[in-house]
Amino acid sequence: MIRCCRNSPTHTTCELIRLPRRSTRHCHYRSGESYRCVFASSLRLQIIIPPLRETSFDMTNQPMRHRPSGFGNPWLQLALSVLCVLVSEFLLKRGAADVAEPNSAWSWTGVNGLASPLVWWAILLIIASFVSWLYVLRYIPLTIAFPLSRVVDILVPLGCWIFLGEFISTLRWCGIALVVIGLALVAKPIAQIEERL
Amino acid sequence: MSFLAFFLIVASLLSFVMAQLVLKRAMESTRKSGFLNLKFSSRVAGGIALMTISFFLTLGLLQRFDLSYLYPFQGLSVIFITVTAAVVLKEKLNLQLTIGALLISAGIVLVSLS
Repeated sequence: MIRCCRNSPTHTTCELIRLPRRSTRHCHYRSGESYRCVFASSLRLQIIIPPLRETSFDMTNQPMRHRPSGFGNPWLQLALSVLCVLVSEFLLKRGAADVAEPNSAWSWTGVNGLASPLVWWAILLIIASFVSWLYVLRYIPLTIAFPLSRVVDILVPLGCWIFLGEFISTLRWCGIALVVIGLALVAKPIAQIEERL
Repeated sequence: MSFLAFFLIVASLLSFVMAQLVLKRAMESTRKSGFLNLKFSSRVAGGIALMTISFFLTLGLLQRFDLSYLYPFQGLSVIFITVTAAVVLKEKLNLQLTIGALLISAGIVLVSLS
């Protein structure tokens, strides 16, 4: 027995279904019903594929008639946003360290960081990443988009390793490996859903 | 770590998480009612205000501490946002996403501790 759920724009209904032998790994389609279920047997994970014939709904249960592609592809925008954040982090650290005055009265707010031109370049990049991030939020649920956007946290040490020649310890490599596995887990159901839409 | 530093780190984390939720709400409303209305603009303004607070707090912290010291706390934001998005925004959260978010957080903490 496995739980099978049906999506509608307003709510999700679930029922228990006895699956035929060998069907747990493959698409399960009940004719006469407007839903299909796909199961990954390894994690007993259920991925709900909305009806394909009429209006299709994306993962946030919103109609997606005009799903953009090309430059407007939300996954591309997510990658762009991550790239901008990565570069801006390096610029911010350089800029903030250049003009640091820990003894001045307002230093806890960080406003004197604005004296550095590098900080201003970082601000420009942050605005660019913010705009594409807003675009991403329009199409991708936060539970998926945000964990994926944190790939930047391993790109920073990797960037230090590649471009600045910094040493990465064994423990740090383990951390990077954990993040990569986590990212793969978050991204995997998406790849399957995108394939079928 | 002084109490003030801890308070500033928590404040920047909380304002960042809240900003993401507010912005997600704002962008979702554009699917139904478009961009030119008070609901959307007030939400985006609120989100940007929260992000600005978080930005300057982080900038101030960066002047005192290394980027590598502050990063574990950014790692926690993955768990915070995944959980609050599931609870507040009613997004679907399954086992795979939860384990993925936990691994990412643990990995970020490991990366920055070492």
